Amino acid sequence: MKLITHNMLTSKCIKGVLTGYPLAINATDVKVTEVDYNPDFLSRVIPKLDWEVLWTAANSIGHGEGLPKAVEPKFEENEEFLKKAHKVLLEVEVEEGYLTCPESGRQFPISKGIPNMLLTEAEVQ
Amino acid sequence: MDEEKKTERKKKRFAARLKSSRGIICTESTGPNIILCNAGQATGLEKSEITKLVTDLQIGEHPKFIAEKGETHSFLVFSTTESAALFYDTYNGKAKIDDNGTPLYMSFVESVPNTEVVCPHENPKGLQIINDFITIQEEDTFMKLFDWDENIDSSKLKNRQVKHYGYEFRYGSNDVDLTSPLHEKIPEECDVLWRRLRNHGLDVEVPDQLTVNKYSPGHGIPSHVDKHSPFGDTILSLSLGSSVVMDWKHPSGKYVPIQVERRSMLVMQDEARYDWQHGIQSRTWDPIIGNRTVTSEGTQKHVTVITNDTQPRQTRISLTFRWTRSGPCECKYKTLCDSVEKSSENIEDDVASNLEELHVHQVYEQIAGHFSTTRHKPWPKVVEFMASVPPGAIVLDLGAGNGKNILRRNDILQIAGERSSGLLSECKQHIQSIAGADCVRLDLLNANLVDACADVVICIAVIHHFSSKARRLQAISTICRLLRPGGRTLITVWAKDQTKSNYLCKNKSQEPEEQRVTVSGVNLPVHENRTQFQYNDLLVPWKLRHVKENKLSNQPENTLLRYYHVFEEGELDDLCKELPLEVEKSFYEEGNWCVVCKKINVST
Repeated sequence: MKLITHNMLTSKCIKGVLTGYPLAINATDVKVTEVDYNPDFLSRVIPKLDWEVLWTAANSIGHGEGLPKAVEPKFEENEEFLKKAHKVLLEVEVEEGYLTCPESGRQFPISKGIPNMLLTEAEVQ
Repeated sequence: MDEEKKTERKKKRFAARLKSSRGIICTESTGPNIILCNAGQATGLEKSEITKLVTDLQIGEHPKFIAEKGETHSFLVFSTTESAALFYDTYNGKAKIDDNGTPLYMSFVESVPNTEVVCPHENPKGLQIINDFITIQEEDTFMKLFDWDENIDSSKLKNRQVKHYGYEFRYGSNDVDLTSPLHEKIPEECDVLWRRLRNHGLDVEVPDQLTVNKYSPGHGIPSHVDKHSPFGDTILSLSLGSSVVMDWKHPSGKYVPIQVERRSMLVMQDEARYDWQHGIQSRTWDPIIGNRTVTSEGTQKHVTVITNDTQPRQTRISLTFRWTRSGPCECKYKTLCDSVEKSSENIEDDVASNLEELHVHQVYEQIAGHFSTTRHKPWPKVVEFMASVPPGAIVLDLGAGNGKNILRRNDILQIAGERSSGLLSECKQHIQSIAGADCVRLDLLNANLVDACADVVICIAVIHHFSSKARRLQAISTICRLLRPGGRTLITVWAKDQTKSNYLCKNKSQEPEEQRVTVSGVNLPVHENRTQFQYNDLLVPWKLRHVKENKLSNQPENTLLRYYHVFEEGELDDLCKELPLEVEKSFYEEGNWCVVCKKINVST
C-alpha cells in the first residue's frame, strides 16, 4: 500500500462510523521501491490530496523526515520538495501491517502490500 | 568429489534462500522430514514422479507428500528417519527433475507446513453411509449386471453415462413421466439390498426408479439436490468400482467433503435429502479425507480435513434408487424446494448475497490463476477511454480483476479495487512497475474509499455479477459517490443480445438438455457456452484447467458456475439515470452494453 492510496481509504462503511478517516497505520514491514519521477504528475495530484493526513501517515511509519507539514505556495517549482513528495507518495510501501479505524478501532490487515478493506455483512450499514 | 562439493554448495544456497524468503529452517541433522528445494507445484512436479523414486527404493514406504500451490519446493514426511535418510542418500543431487537433467536438491527440515484444509462442519443430518454394504463378489455381480459398452444403449451426458430403470429420469425437468414407465424394471438382483437395509434398521419399501451413472476418471456431476417434488423422502446410492469424494454444500455456506467408499450404501434422508446439495468434482484423483481431533477452549472436537495427499480414481458406477411420487413437495426445508419457486427478478438481499458468495466470489477465487492466463488484453474501447484520461487524474478501477485495464502511464494515479484475493495477487504483480498504480481489496457495495476522491472510475464487466436490481443500483451508486462532481465513469456489462459479437459459435445450437440449479431457493438455468442467451439471470459454466508452466492443461479439472445477469438494451442507462449521473454515451461493443456518464453537480 502506497501512502497516496492510504490518503483515500476510510472505514466509513462500518455501521455507526461517521467519517472513519484518517486510518492509523501500524506497519511491520515497509519497503521502498524506486519508480519513475514525474514532476508534472505530482504538481497536478498533490492539490487533490489531504496533505496533513499524508504527513501524519509518513511520520507514523518513519518516513516523515524533511517533509513539510503543509504544502507551500508555488510548491511545483520546488524540486527538492517534489522529490521528497515523490518518494513518500509513490515509493514507500507498507508491505505488512494493519490500518485502524479512528472511531471503532476495527483493524484492516495489510498483507503482501494489499490492504484488505472488506467488511462482513454484520458490520455494514 | 567435485560433484559432492557442488551439491553441498547448492544445498547451502537453497537453505539460505528458504530461510530468508519462507522462514523454512533446514537442518544438518537427519530426521523424517525432507524438503525438495527445487521441485514443487510451481515447477510442475507431479506426485507420481516422487512416488516412483520412493517405490524404486523398495522400502515399502508411502511418505506424505506436501506440495503447496505456487511454491517451487515441496516436502516429504517419512515414517522413519532411516527411510528418509536412505531417500536422501540415494537421490540428493543425483535424481533428475526434468528432461534437461537438472538434479534434485534436498535437505532435512525441522518441520513441515500444515496445509490440511479443516472442514469444521458436521456431516449433513440424515446422511448415513453404510460401508461394506455388499461383498466383493456382489460388487462384481452388480458391475457385470449394470456395466455397458461405452457406445451402446446408454445416453451420454456431458460428463458421464447414464441408464434408467422403472422410469426414465428427464434431465430437462429433473423429474420422471409417471404416465410412461419403462419396459425395464429394477432388476430383481437388487432385492437383496432392501432386505439388508431393513437389517440396518431402515424400513424401506421397494423403490421404483433406478438411475445408473458411469463415471470414468475425470468425470463428475455438478452440485445438485435431487428435485424434491418428484421423489420421496429417501434416496439411496450404491457405489461400485471406485471410491470417490463427494462434496456436500449447505445454503448457509457449510461445506463437507465426504469419502464415499466402493461397496458402500449412501442413504439420504431429512436435511441430507432436502437441504444440502451434493456433487462430484471432475478430476482424475481425489484428496484423501482424514479425521483429526482438535482441542479448542478445553474441549476436544473431531473435524474433517482435506489432506494434501491424493489417490487416483477408477471407473465408478453408482446406482441411485428413488421412490417416485406426485403432487407438490411437503418437506419442511424450503431453500432448495421446487414447490416454493421464487423469481430471480427481485430476490431478497440475503439470498442475493449468498448467491453471489457461492457463484461469483468463490468461483473467482478458484479460477483466478486460470482466468488471468485467458484475460491479458484490455478491450480496445477501455484502452481508448483510459488513454483519454487527462494527466494528473485520479482513476479508480473497481472490480479490476487481474489489473489488465491499468495502463502503463506514469502521469495518472490508478487504483485497482478488487474483491478476489486471488485476482488481486495477479493484479499486484501486473502493476508492480507502474509508478502511480496500487491495489486495494474492497467490495463495490461497501467500498471503503473517501467520497468524491476520483476524477474517473471504470467498472468493466462487474455489475452483471450482482443478482438483484437493488444491488446493481447500489453498485452504481458507489461509483457515483466516489466521483467528484464533473468526474466521468465508463461502465460495461454483458449484453443478453450476443448476435453482433464473436461470442456465438456458429456450429453450436442450443442443447435440448437444459440443466437448472437451485441456489438459495433461486432456480437458475445453466447456460450452454457460446450460444445465444435465453434468460436474463443464469449460471455460466467455467471449465477450470490447471496452469502449468504458463500453459493450460488440456483436461478440464472442474466445472464451476458463475452467476450473471445479462442486460437488455437500455437497462444500464436506466439504472444510471436513477442517480445524479448524466449518460453522455451509450453503445454496444463486442457483446457488451457500455455507458460513459458524467457526475452531475448536485447542490446539497
